[in-house]
Amino acid sequence: IYPLYQLGNPQLRIFRPNWFLTLVRPGKEQPPDTVQFRIPMEMTKYDVKNYLEKIYDVPVGAIRTRIQFGSNKKRNHLHQKVKQPDYKVAYVQLAQGQTFTFPDIFPEKELKHEEGSMEEMQEKFMEDEKQRQRLDPRRGGVTEWFGL
Amino acid sequence: MNINLILGIFILKGWDWVGREKSPLAALSWRSPSSSVAPCRALHTTISRRGLDEFFDLPENWGETTVKSGAPWTAKQLRTKSNEDLHKLWYVLLKEKNLLLTLEQEAKRQRVPMSSPERIRKVERSMIRLETVVNERESALRMLQTGQEKARPGAWRRDKFGHVYWYRFKEYAIPWYMNRRYKRKSFFTPKFVQPHIRLRLEKYLRQRARKTSLERRTQSKLKEKFPHANISAS
Repeated sequence: IYPLYQLGNPQLRIFRPNWFLTLVRPGKEQPPDTVQFRIPMEMTKYDVKNYLEKIYDVPVGAIRTRIQFGSNKKRNHLHQKVKQPDYKVAYVQLAQGQTFTFPDIFPEKELKHEEGSMEEMQEKFMEDEKQRQRLDPRRGGVTEWFGL
Repeated sequence: MNINLILGIFILKGWDWVGREKSPLAALSWRSPSSSVAPCRALHTTISRRGLDEFFDLPENWGETTVKSGAPWTAKQLRTKSNEDLHKLWYVLLKEKNLLLTLEQEAKRQRVPMSSPERIRKVERSMIRLETVVNERESALRMLQTGQEKARPGAWRRDKFGHVYWYRFKEYAIPWYMNRRYKRKSFFTPKFVQPHIRLRLEKYLRQRARKTSLERRTQSKLKEKFPHANISAS
């Protein structure tokens, strides 16, 4: 689908590239300047380098790629083998001494229900029930079966 | 194949959308600075130099179950935009899709449901529509300038089984009569395939006849049962 290159041909330029990179958390411990991507199989190291430099303005140093084989071992309920797709992984090292740590994207957040909703009333009800079950706080955790 | 990607992103950096409160989807009415209704000074947006942070959402949205997003771009809306705007919008959509894909993968990793996964589908649809609009414009231009309808040349050819299909030409460095593998491909139907073609044609006609008679039968039965009902549009 790309025009053939012969000596003297103009540089191939691609407008509106249809390739998407996925930043992933590294499974194994990586050096601090290394970022791990999942890239489509058709991309090469030079493609990734230009992509990041031109679209994301990220200075790229070294880059290494490998192809991860997706397993063909699992079987479905019909005992047929199910293939997980293969994908290419790129390890990109940033230039100019920059570091990157994968952030925690799913921090624990307190669920605040909106005023007057069903969930809020249910929560309040459950809270009251639990309050009734609990013993007198003035007794300091001691049971009630003995005493006055 | 080593394709050196030099992308034609002209002045993308000056147009990157302001902060990330606005998403690239259409219905959150956000106009590009180059839309000219009346003569006005062009908006000056800051160049966002966030680098790898563009793979992640705004920190306020981390951990939310639902993130609000607008409707996908329709082809009608996209046809009103200029070529520069469409080009820039493509990259905006591309970055958004990358963001959503990283989010999806991280959600799978942490075994947590991803917030509003329909955003990916919306972005995909917008990109497809953008592609169709650009191709429309390109083909119109090509028709006017050269008279060719298709960018890639091709021809109608028969394969060995008698099917007629549009064969699209591929670029080679040598002519076809020097290409041994190409010469082994035969674009004709041998004579002994004729009975098979005949049988296939009969089967197809039989299926079509069956379908039409079935329709007629169902319509007549319905008319019997419900004589006053008008013809169902199915």
